[in-house]
Amino acid sequence: MADGRLARALPSLLAVTAALGACFVALAAALGDAGLAAEAFGQMALGGFGDVPRWLSTGDAAAVLRPLGESAGKASVLLLAGLSVAVAFQVGLFNIGAQGQLLWGGLAAAVVGAAVQLPPALHLPVCLLAAAAAGAAWALLPTALKLRRGVHEVISTIMLNWVAVALVENWLVVGPLQGPAGAGTAEVHPSAVMPRLLGESSRLNLGLPLSLAAAAAVAAWLLRTTHGLETRAVGRGQEAARAAGLPVEGRTWTAMAVAGALAGLAGAVLVLGSELRYPGRLAAPYGFDGIAMALIGGNHPLGVAASSLLFGALRAGGTRMQLLGVHRGFPELIQGLALLFVAARLGWAWLLLRRKETPRA
Amino acid sequence: MRALDDVSLGLAAGERLALVGENGAGKSTLMNVLYGLYRPDAGTLSVDGAPVVFRSPRDAIARGIGMVHQHFMLVPTLTVAENVVLGAEPTARGLLLDVQAAEAAVEALCARFGFQLDPRARLGELGVGARQKVEIVKALHRGARALVLDEPTAVLTPDEADELFAVARRLADAGTAVVLVSHKLKEVLAFCERVAVMRRGRKVAELKAAGTTPEVLAAHVMGEPPPPPPPFQPATPGAPLLQLSGVCADGPQGRPALKGVSLRLCAGEVVGIAGVDGNGQRELAEVVTGLRPLTAGTLEVRGKPLTAGTPAAFRTAGVGHVPEDRHRHAMVGSFSVEENLSLGRHRVPPFARGPWIDSAGRHAAAVLEMERWDVRPRDASLPMQVLSGGNQQKVVMARELSLDPAVLVAVQPTRGLDIGAVAAVRAQLRAHAARGHAVLLVSLDLEEVLALSDRAYVLYGGRTVAELPRAQFDERRMGRLMLGTEVDRG
Repeated sequence: MADGRLARALPSLLAVTAALGACFVALAAALGDAGLAAEAFGQMALGGFGDVPRWLSTGDAAAVLRPLGESAGKASVLLLAGLSVAVAFQVGLFNIGAQGQLLWGGLAAAVVGAAVQLPPALHLPVCLLAAAAAGAAWALLPTALKLRRGVHEVISTIMLNWVAVALVENWLVVGPLQGPAGAGTAEVHPSAVMPRLLGESSRLNLGLPLSLAAAAAVAAWLLRTTHGLETRAVGRGQEAARAAGLPVEGRTWTAMAVAGALAGLAGAVLVLGSELRYPGRLAAPYGFDGIAMALIGGNHPLGVAASSLLFGALRAGGTRMQLLGVHRGFPELIQGLALLFVAARLGWAWLLLRRKETPRA
Repeated sequence: MRALDDVSLGLAAGERLALVGENGAGKSTLMNVLYGLYRPDAGTLSVDGAPVVFRSPRDAIARGIGMVHQHFMLVPTLTVAENVVLGAEPTARGLLLDVQAAEAAVEALCARFGFQLDPRARLGELGVGARQKVEIVKALHRGARALVLDEPTAVLTPDEADELFAVARRLADAGTAVVLVSHKLKEVLAFCERVAVMRRGRKVAELKAAGTTPEVLAAHVMGEPPPPPPPFQPATPGAPLLQLSGVCADGPQGRPALKGVSLRLCAGEVVGIAGVDGNGQRELAEVVTGLRPLTAGTLEVRGKPLTAGTPAAFRTAGVGHVPEDRHRHAMVGSFSVEENLSLGRHRVPPFARGPWIDSAGRHAAAVLEMERWDVRPRDASLPMQVLSGGNQQKVVMARELSLDPAVLVAVQPTRGLDIGAVAAVRAQLRAHAARGHAVLLVSLDLEEVLALSDRAYVLYGGRTVAELPRAQFDERRMGRLMLGTEVDRG
């Protein structure tokens, strides 16, 4: 079993390594100087994983903790969005709508965080629940369309993303829900803010343990429970699942609700961890990055966690490469290449299988 | 692993050669090498004494090799003539399909070899036997001088099979070499002059058909003398377990597929459903397992009406299912063998403990069942899709029988399996009935229905047109009932 898992993870690892290598070569060629390229990569590592040499020489722990905090902030949102896509994949649905679900989750967290007064121990969980519920509700729309009317989820989720943008960002946060400080909602109460775990020197907050716990919970659900087995069976062999008497529709509903809830939580981590309100526009398209995380991580919860942690760090470190004149979009280029290699690997696998396949007499 | 190992085989003009062997023995690989689908790692292929290299089926066709696959490669919405010329169309003014030339070509071929085919008939309206002839005419139209027939009689009635062999014999007499790939040793010996036996990628024997008995041939195929078929133990039927009366149901396109099926299945019995493909077998199997709703009639399992039941309700009522399309309906290919063995009973011990999967318990149970059914390779963590068809079927049978269903619906349970696996599956079906349960055997292979059933119904045009006790089993007459050319007056 362990060997099988490693064998499945290996191609993704190789893909990421190959992407990193390819980027290094491309960067060296573009800068015309391998030494400079190496330095840029070094800066990216220092910015993403922490400036360990400086910490060792000066004893300044913040040199490590601050970068790690930035990486963790990005990684936790990537991870929750990636899990959302990966969970939907388990029932054979391609959730391109994580972005829309994320927007609703972020809005719900911001509204409950600002409008409700509760003791700190209760306020944050209530905000998270509201975000999860909002994301789940938005994910159930395409599910209903799929199960009742046969509408393909790729089409419906893409379109619902734009509906979400229109409703949330073009209307609600500049209209009925606008706060006193212009576009965006009012600032959330301190009791709803994600507590920082390492004091003021680092922005590392509860989001990272929360997202890692979510990954562990999803892994346990899918791989260790009978409910999870049924969920996976629906995606991998729907007809067989139906013939075996499994509740195919029921499992599709729950998986999509969980997928939406996870994307909603990603929005909540963004809002309650760094923005502290729903701004006029909610930052980067993490919902779409979630698709990349799910694919690079092989749709395995722990694979998604690994790829999210890596790319969270690379993205945070990318800012530091700017010092050397490298565009900060560089990590996204690596992510794109890694995805390309993962996709190519499926192509290679297909070619290899076709060559080796010898049907039985 | 090597699928073919140092195999040499010659074929003369007008010769009738058979290729036999168990699943995985290398028959299909050898034929695919011959047809340009695979290239050999070593060795040569010669046509007319000159070495050739086939890069694709196109090369093989150009050299006069024709192949009739087990699954027909025809377009149902086109006419017979259009299907025949597809890929080598005669054109008028360089652009348009010359329909008249195509029809004339087909008529000429039919006249020359004595086929009865209407070139203007739409393929979708033809029966299986006629479609197969279209495949043969198609190969001849492309100039085939060597024709490979892959399991051609698997879906034919005895009369249709006779007709096929008569046609093939005429072709051989006219100089075409015919290769018959088959599991049915009797027909191999009746039709062919020479038999090549494959085992584990090697050619282990080459025999003259004259003077060889099926028993001797089976021993060569299996590598050991086959065990004698167990004597048939007739059942003493008990209480009715499954009853259908006047059942109607729609097919996949919403057209009525079952138009009045009445049947009864009693404890201790194996009841066969004989019929030509497309007469409602698939729908009948789906109706009695809850996968397809009834539009009229009633259905009872153990005396309880289940007319509007879900697959889960049928399972709870004690109906097990070994479906026809194993890959789609019976297994999840990317799941491990033990996960597949657990499907449907995965919520109960030893497969689960509360809401959790009991990995250790499941593994132990799976290993035990794989041992009992001799599933190879004996590794419960392998993905189901890497197993051979016979071993996959054993896993499905093991799972369904472990639930001890009062009614087991088995559709084409031995299709594509080799001699050893067929014997194992058939023995288990009889044994299940002998334990006081009932088996509904739906098979397109009449020989299988006759071998296993205590009683049989003939399904024709969506109706049960005849019911025959074992004492009245008659291959020829049932074949005619299946084709609707004889009406039961009994």
